[in-house]
Amino acid sequence: MSVPRPLRTTLTALAVLALIAFAWNGSQVDFARLVNSLSKGWPLLQDFLTPDVLGREIQPVTLQLAVPVPCGSAAEAPPAASGPRLVPSVPCAAPRDKFTVEGFDLAPNTELQLRWRLPSGQYFPGPFITTDADGYFKAEFEARPIVATKDGVPGQIEVELQVEVGNLRPSPTLHIVLDNVVVTIFMALMATVAAVVVAAPLSFLAAQNVMKRGPVGTAIYYLTRTFFNVFRSYEAIVLATVFAFWVGFGPFAGVLALTIVTIASLGKLYSEAVEGIDPGPVEALTATGANRLQVVLFAIVPQIVPNFLSFTIYHWDINVRISTIIGYVGGGGIGYYLAQMINTSQNSKAGTAIWAIVIVVWVMDFLSAEVRKRYT
Amino acid sequence: MLEVRNLHKVYPNGTVALTDVSFRVDDGEFLVVIGLSGSGKSTLLRCLNRLIEPSQGQILWDGVDVTAASGAELRRIRRHIGMVFQQFNLVKRSSVLTNVLAGRLGFANPWLSLLGVWPPSDRAMALRALERVGIRDKAEARADALSGGQQQRVGIARALMQEPKLILADEPVASLDPVLSHSILQYLEQLNKEEKITVICSLHFLDLVHRYATRVIALKDGKVVFTGLPQEIDKARFKAIYGEDAVEVRAGMTA
Ligand SMILES: Nc1ncnc2c1ncn2[C@@H]1O[C@H](COP(=O)(O)OP(=O)(O)OP(=O)(O)O)[C@@H](O)[C@H]1O
Ligand SMILES: [Mg+2]
Repeated sequence: MSVPRPLRTTLTALAVLALIAFAWNGSQVDFARLVNSLSKGWPLLQDFLTPDVLGREIQPVTLQLAVPVPCGSAAEAPPAASGPRLVPSVPCAAPRDKFTVEGFDLAPNTELQLRWRLPSGQYFPGPFITTDADGYFKAEFEARPIVATKDGVPGQIEVELQVEVGNLRPSPTLHIVLDNVVVTIFMALMATVAAVVVAAPLSFLAAQNVMKRGPVGTAIYYLTRTFFNVFRSYEAIVLATVFAFWVGFGPFAGVLALTIVTIASLGKLYSEAVEGIDPGPVEALTATGANRLQVVLFAIVPQIVPNFLSFTIYHWDINVRISTIIGYVGGGGIGYYLAQMINTSQNSKAGTAIWAIVIVVWVMDFLSAEVRKRYT
Repeated sequence: MLEVRNLHKVYPNGTVALTDVSFRVDDGEFLVVIGLSGSGKSTLLRCLNRLIEPSQGQILWDGVDVTAASGAELRRIRRHIGMVFQQFNLVKRSSVLTNVLAGRLGFANPWLSLLGVWPPSDRAMALRALERVGIRDKAEARADALSGGQQQRVGIARALMQEPKLILADEPVASLDPVLSHSILQYLEQLNKEEKITVICSLHFLDLVHRYATRVIALKDGKVVFTGLPQEIDKARFKAIYGEDAVEVRAGMTA
């Protein structure tokens, strides 16, 4: 049965087009929404682009201003002209008078509480206020009888501020993010090391040139290969979910899943390296009367060391990314922190985490490329 | 004495590489195997130490049936047979000394050798072997840092570690230029004459055959077509072995 070539080409093209149309529908492509909802995404993006990395130490500072009640009972105090300051609408007041208080150059967008400092030294709470973006507020205030001047000491209106002092230093968020990044890197390292210990010996069992001698060897060869192929096709995240039911969510489930996938993947890579060796030395050492293990150790191992090293580092690099994702669904580390911050809309902290991930992936990528360059 | 009786080799893909090959090699001979490319020289040499499994036939060495041996017994036989290869077959990333020591693996304590621990006597022996082939100063170098001729000398030193009674050499000089060919073959000749080590060696160039062989067997399409002294290979025999169109080429620079 032969189909003419132009017809075949046309049919193929149509089939591909139909497939694309299906895929378009299935993934609900909606460019209009992408553009219309820009306003929703934009602030988020801005937060992500201004991560919380540096901050100053915070100290409580109390702003005070004497307001004699009643007038003339004590010296009035002129409000400061600049800096963070409180400015009442009257210099003094009669008991039960109402007046307004304005605050200037305070911390922006912050909730504060106004209060009276009594002559006795105790304080009497006033209203809660929230400053605007310029650090300004305006609030109603009442001169209660309890604030009256006593023994020549006037009552004072007062507000306590958190003021940033000293040099810039890593913010607490940065500390937490770095701790979590280290957890993620170590999860990946644990999984990689555990996988190497298992995969390195197994890989010889999955190498044709070592095992395909005799029925037992061949059987082991196919068994090991099948194991590698089956587990390589699992996503680590799926296995992580399975292990989470077993040992509970957390880094341990993630490490277990990652280890198994890495064993399969590295085992396959290693065994291909073993199959790619120069068979000459194997032949030569077999001819000297060396046993199988001696041949593997003296003729094969020296040939595969560079490849094993480079595959291992390459996989550690991959595992850092995967463990970030596993973390996101509850596996701990930086991924988990990121998920928490996004779920609670702490976007600039999420931004810090995202930047940390990007930088770590960059650095790992660079390092693994460098090491591989050096050893191959 | 080595005796080969009715040896056949058919590869799994159906290629018939050896057909009914029989011959005898007395102790102390320098037997050269000649024949066109594909005539079965490598197959024959590898059947002798069972790197390749013969399909049929028998190999008797000093009365021991090599073809019947298996496992530990086969390894005990192999460790008295040194082998030298056209491509040297060194572990390129290992040091020269390690490559030479590896020739001793069949005798070494299996567990210590796996740890890379060698008795001082083996180390001394390896250095003597390197001394003998004139490259003791290269002991610590990586094998792939050596020239082709030097690498083949490491190959010979490795075989010497076995204190062999028989050396199989599969085209040991085919990858080297003529000057180096003679220096390598002279080492083999020296071992043959001074240590009474039997040598079975395949060669391409007839002038080398005339210079080194005490006896020659010729293969054609897996069959033995000539057995005798090198000087018996006249024009007619030459054409019988290599075909009507063949012209003799020399390695040259006879030493
Ligand atoms: N592993 C193998 N599987 C199948 N056929 C093989 C194999 N090795 C060799 N042969 C075939 O067996 C025949 C003899 O090969 P062999 O290598 O012994 O010849 P040779 O005389 O050593 O040739 P050369 O001078 O090229 O080294 C050839 O036809 C070759 O193609
Ligand atoms: Mg050959």
